[in-house]
Formats: sequence, structure tokens, C-alpha cells
Amino acid sequence: MNTVKEYKCPSCNAPLEFYPPTQNWKCNYCSSEFEINELDSVRKEEASDQDMAELDSYKCDSCGAELIADETTSATFCIYCKSPTIIKTRFSGRFKPKSVIPFKLIKEQARDIYKEWINKKLFAPNEFKQKEEIDKVTGIYAPFWLFDCKADGMISGEATRVKTWTQGNYRYTNTKYFLVNRRGNARYNRIPVDASKKLDDKFMYMAEPFDYNDITDFSMKYMSGFMAERYDVETDEAKTIMQKRAENYIEDRLKSTVTGYSSFSVREKNVNLSQIDASYAMLPIYLLINKFKGKDHIFIINGQTGKVVGDTPISRIKQLIFASVVFLIAFLICVLGGALFV
Amino acid sequence: MFRKLSIAFLIFILVSILTGTLTYASNPNNVIDNLGYLTESEITELQSRINSIKETYVLDTVIVITDNTEGKSSMVYADDYYDYNDYGLDSKYSGLLMLINMQKREVWISTEGKAIDIFTDSRIKNMVNNVTNSLSNGNYYDACKIFLNDVSRYANSGIPKGQYRAEGDPPYVNATYLDKVLRLMRTWYIYLIALAISIIATAIVSYSSKGKVTIDNRTYEEGGSFALSENSDIYLRETTTRTKIERNSGGGSGRSSTHSGSSGRSHGGGGGRF
Repeated sequence: MNTVKEYKCPSCNAPLEFYPPTQNWKCNYCSSEFEINELDSVRKEEASDQDMAELDSYKCDSCGAELIADETTSATFCIYCKSPTIIKTRFSGRFKPKSVIPFKLIKEQARDIYKEWINKKLFAPNEFKQKEEIDKVTGIYAPFWLFDCKADGMISGEATRVKTWTQGNYRYTNTKYFLVNRRGNARYNRIPVDASKKLDDKFMYMAEPFDYNDITDFSMKYMSGFMAERYDVETDEAKTIMQKRAENYIEDRLKSTVTGYSSFSVREKNVNLSQIDASYAMLPIYLLINKFKGKDHIFIINGQTGKVVGDTPISRIKQLIFASVVFLIAFLICVLGGALFV
Repeated sequence: MFRKLSIAFLIFILVSILTGTLTYASNPNNVIDNLGYLTESEITELQSRINSIKETYVLDTVIVITDNTEGKSSMVYADDYYDYNDYGLDSKYSGLLMLINMQKREVWISTEGKAIDIFTDSRIKNMVNNVTNSLSNGNYYDACKIFLNDVSRYANSGIPKGQYRAEGDPPYVNATYLDKVLRLMRTWYIYLIALAISIIATAIVSYSSKGKVTIDNRTYEEGGSFALSENSDIYLRETTTRTKIERNSGGGSGRSSTHSGSSGRSHGGGGGRF
């Protein structure tokens, strides 16, 4: 049995890659495109539920060269012949994803979206904005744990309603105090938690949300033409992150039902999560690395929605100019406007 | 030994008497008309009225008419003129000065000592308003008489109830828009407000340069799955407090705005255009 997998063009036998704009598979040599069922009829091999033994090294199916891949890389390209290659063992057994959101954007679109985004950043240095070459753009299927759960929450606290009025020479302030209790429950579906240690948790979180309408059963075919990682954050570890999020969600949700008060402070709260279910999914992101003054600046572009987040360098001079201009404008408004009322 | 002590005691008494009289010995010329707007007899009449005010109320009263304030503002010139020309009765240099500044066509009343407490902001405003008309029409003698009448009237009624001192801008009557702008530019809190706005705006833009979190507590909630099982709002208690409203304008205010002059002495006062 082969340990690596390449999808080959039924017409010319060159490697096939997933092409996001048409959501089909495209051959870069003969330009033929194939739909998912056409591909299925040719090849039946798929990710297996059985654990496959890990090997020390993998060889490219096309040219036989050894693949350069660290231990979490699951889909990559042969550095010699550039053929997209999938390491099947890394999608098997406990590493077999349940679902995938296929890429919607191609590399060039991601690059353009990034450029437009960075140009709007007021504090990004001009040299950085005008950089023609972006050092590295990589389409990656990132491993995520998607959690479903039910949350039962309770909050209790003191709310006040303040009324003021004037009578004669006095201003009266009346404060009514209430004990407010709220108990409620909600179901949360597919709260995503980054399952790769390589990718920055904060930026992955900021790149959310993904549109789950496009989620589909996992198939290795989607990996062809992209990089993919397998998870190295275990479910239990991810679960604690998800629990904090879900607890905040239900708490905020309950708080939003406390209306008609001047203030509300929570004194006591309790959240219970149950029916927690994790499923393993591959979600599409573009990882963009741009060097500036010797430092790598990482940007994440949501491969489905095109949302950009990242480590924008900040120009101190621009910050200072901005602060000065705002100060001047605020000062003029205060002085010129204020003079009308004093 | 005993003789030495008694000599020292004598010197001590002498010095204290001398310094005491020096402190209370004030400049006898209280009407200074650099421009010759007042006749000799008018000056004599005003001086005699001032002398009686000084005696009755222990308030030095000075009138200065000039068109050269040495580049100082009316307020600073009035304060300095009073401080550096030996005016002021009692140990607190109590008294007041009306400056008629022909260069800027401004009138300024500067107060010191217990005059700060007697002549509150609202009283100063009234006094400035009362003389404005005469000054505009060139009736300087009338203006001086009105001023002295007001001094006697307010000194007689004493310190108003609820009077308090507060560091701050002196009242300014009939200020033009430009005057107000310039006055605001001299206040420190305007700079503080602008600085706060600037820092907050810069922080927001800096923070958003890395992208924003666009999910909230509803993003992953299954539609319609949220249900409240307990929903109670229990009334506990209530409190009602009342505070007296401090009115800034009108006759009710007892505020006397103060500032420090170049001599380091505290002044009150206010002024306006004519």
C-alpha cells in the first residue's frame, strides 16, 4: 500500500490540484478540470480509519525524491518536482479529520486582499506597505477541534435604577436596588480551537469566524495543492480553551437579558457545560510572512472569507504625527467651540 | 545683664512698632490719572471720598487711568500696580484697584486681602457693568463716582453669605469671541482634554492595526437554542439623596475667583471691555 498519495490527471497523468474558484480539480499541464465524482470514479482510495504505521521518511510518488516534511506536515509539495503530495498515514486513524472547509480563495486573491488591507493601516510604515514582493504566502489546511456543547448558566447580581430630578435649589437622586437572577441554557455548535502548536493561537482566533455552510466531509482530495498540518494539541488541552469561551458566551448572553437598569454588577455566577463533543476538522488559511527590518511579520488570511489579521509593524513616527494632529484638532474644537458657551 | 536685656527689649518694641506702622502705612495718592481726564478738583473730591472709605471700611481703594500697561494684560498690570506701589491696608494688604486701560479700552478691578471676600465674582461683574456705560461715553469722573459708590455699598453689606474662594478664571464682562478663545487657550484643562482624546484615538488605531475580533457570544449559538429558565428581578431597597445646586451665574453665587500675582500675593478681581 502506498504511504503517500498523489491525485493524477485521468487524461495526462500529471498531478491534479484543488482549484478554489470552481471548487473542482485542475490539471496544470493539460488544463482539464474534474468534478469530485469524476475523480471518485477513478480512484477509490481514501483516508482510512485504521492507524497506519509512521515511517521515518516518505518518497515523492512522481520523482522518487525524499519528501522534506516535519512530523506534523500532512500535505506538502515535493521540493524537486513540485508535485502536490499527501502523506496518507497522517490522515489515518486518530488523525483522520471528520470534516473540511475547502479553500475559496486562490493564492493571488489572498495576496491582493492582504495588500488592500495593509494599505488601509494608518500606522504601518510606508516601506512595508509598498513592498512589492511578499516573502511567502502558503495555503494551509489548519487543524482545528470543533466543539459542540450545551451550556447551563446562572448569574446573580445587583442592579440599580437611578433617577434624578431637580426641585427648587436641590438636585434629587433616587437609586433603586434590585437583586437580579438569570438562569438559562444554550447550545453552541462548532466552537473552533486551534489544534496546531505551530500556528499562533491569538491570530487564529482573530481570523474566525468561518462560514460553516461550506463545511463538508473530509476527503484527502481537497488537500491536493495545499499544505496541511495534523493536530498536535490534544482534545483535552483544547477543551479547556473552549470551556472558557463557552462560559463567557453564556454569561454575556445572560447579561444581555438584564435590561432597563442604570448599572448591573455580577456577584455570583455558575456555568455548567455538558454534552461536550469534539470533532476534528481542517480549515483553510493563508499564512503570509513578510520580512521587515530583519523581523518576520506573520499574517493570517482566512482562506474562506478573506478576513486578514496579523502582526502589522507600527511606525512610531506615524503614531506621533497622528497623535499630534488629533491633539491639535481636539484642541481647536475645544477652544473654538468652547468659546461659544463660556 | 539686666541692662542688656532691657535694651534688647526696647529695640524689639521699637522695631515691632516701626514695622507695624510701615505695613499699614499706605500710599496716600489713590487717584492716578496719567491722561489728564480728570480735573484737579475732581481728583481732590475722589481722594477725599477714598479717604473716608479707607477709614470706615479699612479698604484701600485705587483708581488708575493709563494708556500704557507696559505690555502686560489689564489683570497683570492692575495686580502689579497695586502690589508694587505700597497700597493695601492691614496685614493682608486689603483693598482694591480699578484700572481704566485706554489702550485696550478695558476696565479691570483687582482685589486683595479681605476685598477678595467682599467683592465676589458676581459683585465684580455688576460693578464692571455699572461703569461700562459711562466709560464708553467718556464720562470718566462719573465712572469713578459710580465705582466708589459700589465700593461703599458692598463694603457696607460685608462678605456675602456662602462666600468662598476658588482658584480660577476671573469673571470677564462683555468679552468678545476672540477674548474668550484666548482665555480658554490659557486654561490647563483644555490641554488635558485634547491630550486624553489624542491618546485614546492613537491607542484605538494602534490596537486595530492587527485586525479585529469579529465574533461575539451569538456566533456559535445554535439558533433559537437559548432559553431562560429563571428570570427574577427582586426589589431590595432605595435611597434618595439631595444636593444643593451651585449656580454659576446670577447673584446667588458666593464664588471669589483668585489667582497669584507676580509678587506672589493672591488677587481676586474681574473686568470687561467698554
